[in-house]
Amino acid sequence: MTAMSTTEHKTRGADASKGRARSGLPRSRPAISLSYVILFIGVAIALVPFLYVVSTSLKESTSLFSYPPDWIPSPIFWGNFESLFADHPFVLWTINTLFVAGAVTALKLWFDSMAGYALAKMEFAGRRGVALLLLLSVAIPISALIIPMFFVVRYLGLLNTYWALILPPLANPLGIFMARSFIVGIPDDLEASARLDGASEFTIYRKIVLPLIRPGLVVLGMFTFMLQYTSFIWPLIAVSDSDRQVLAVGISGLQSAFLQDWGLLSAGMLVAAVPITVVFLLVQKAFVFNDLSGALKE
Amino acid sequence: MTLSPEEHRRLAKRYRRRTTLTAYAFLGPNLVAFAVFLLIPVVWLLVSTFRTGGVLGPAEFVGLDNWRDTFSDPLARTSIRNTVVYSAMAIPTVFIIAMILALALNAIPRGGAPIRVALYLPTLQPAVVAAFIFTFVLHPDFGVINYAVRWLGGDPINFLGDTTLALPTIAGIEVWRGTGFWTMMFLAGLTALPGELYHAAELDGAGAIRRFIRLTLPLLRPTFYFAVIFATIVNLQLFDSVFALTDGGPVNSTVSVSLYIYRSLFLFGDIGFGATLSFLLVITVLLLTGLQTYLLRDRK
Repeated sequence: MTAMSTTEHKTRGADASKGRARSGLPRSRPAISLSYVILFIGVAIALVPFLYVVSTSLKESTSLFSYPPDWIPSPIFWGNFESLFADHPFVLWTINTLFVAGAVTALKLWFDSMAGYALAKMEFAGRRGVALLLLLSVAIPISALIIPMFFVVRYLGLLNTYWALILPPLANPLGIFMARSFIVGIPDDLEASARLDGASEFTIYRKIVLPLIRPGLVVLGMFTFMLQYTSFIWPLIAVSDSDRQVLAVGISGLQSAFLQDWGLLSAGMLVAAVPITVVFLLVQKAFVFNDLSGALKE
Repeated sequence: MTLSPEEHRRLAKRYRRRTTLTAYAFLGPNLVAFAVFLLIPVVWLLVSTFRTGGVLGPAEFVGLDNWRDTFSDPLARTSIRNTVVYSAMAIPTVFIIAMILALALNAIPRGGAPIRVALYLPTLQPAVVAAFIFTFVLHPDFGVINYAVRWLGGDPINFLGDTTLALPTIAGIEVWRGTGFWTMMFLAGLTALPGELYHAAELDGAGAIRRFIRLTLPLLRPTFYFAVIFATIVNLQLFDSVFALTDGGPVNSTVSVSLYIYRSLFLFGDIGFGATLSFLLVITVLLLTGLQTYLLRDRK
């Protein structure tokens, strides 16, 4: 089943990106029109709040209360952005977030693909036990571990460092199962013949497995990056130094520090939305979600 | 070259030992992270539920005191109830909306790509950002929704300042943020469905709704399995938007379990109590996941 699905949804992904009616059904005209209406409403609800933020970020906070509200600020006020970059370590927060999320993503892709390879293709003592243990730990809510995690990280002397942000997320086991579900689909013959040629397991992993599962790894990578980019509770606890903080926590501090400066806050949110949106646009063609749910099948 | 049976056995054993070593080397980094940042914390939690102190002085064994405190603490009960009520509102709502959008996306002949990107934008935002966006939209004085309410002649609604409205409002914000994610997830499931079955069903005269209930829903079970489990795990940890928007208020109507755990450490420094509440959350999520796995299993 899994063997099929890996190769299968690649072709489906290609179909999806061309936007054909996928399950091959001729759809009726009213059904298609209704679908467009529904999607228009959905897109409007998704986007209008952002327009509100754009509009607010370009106004002086005093003109917020004008009634009726002007959606298009006149004159356009750039002061919020200026103060954002001049008075707050906003650039630093952005760099920190991108660095931490990037490091976690790179390490997770590496470690998870290796672990996934072992679980998918190697016979070894304790395999079932390890798999079960890791699977069980998928269901451990991270926010229930913040207290012990705080003490573990403090014991290791890592509080208030980048390590405190990078290392704990590596324990999230979901990616291992995603990687395994990609690797199970690779025909055994491929590795067997390489092994006969005297290739080591690491060579097989690097030269055969990794290239073949690259599309899946893009999805896993984007997913990991997104989780990391949006993570909040752990950075809030582990880092107290504002210069080492990430965007999400930094922005939430903008509010309490400068009570209700809506213009500044919305400028901050807007700027924070840019990097992750760019990353998403870069990879979204390759983003086939089936790979995610494939992880917990079987 | 021939091998005696004994040599054969020895070599086979050596080979197996080597594969096992290689396998653990491949698993190594993950197992270390797992041990340090999951296993040790969980064991630490369990031990701490029977102890007190530990922040300033040495920890002391107190038996079941923490458990008694936690179960008799009214705010702990409130936080559990809030979290459950929130999840019960947010998860079905986001699933139904996302399913409708996924079906619509699956039906249209073109224009899907930009629509998918637009629907996904809210999902890319940290929950705190989504929360702040909605403080604007919902603000009693200048929020766009209250402009509409006033224009219609009503009194402005203080969504986040009202004890009955605050929790549903937070659920609504999380639904707004989560819809893109689940839409893409369900769409991926829909595009994977075998078209031939639908042709057959249509020839048999099955209507669209019947096809959806009889074919689509059962065929999407693997997707739902992941969706239900993942959504439960994530939503029972509700923290970010509550922390940013209401800090548990008004009158504790939005205190979530995670927020209370956070407070017990950083506000009261009561580790035993916080650990017990945390351990309860771990057990609850584990049991729920097990139950869901059992209920959604493949009955063949």
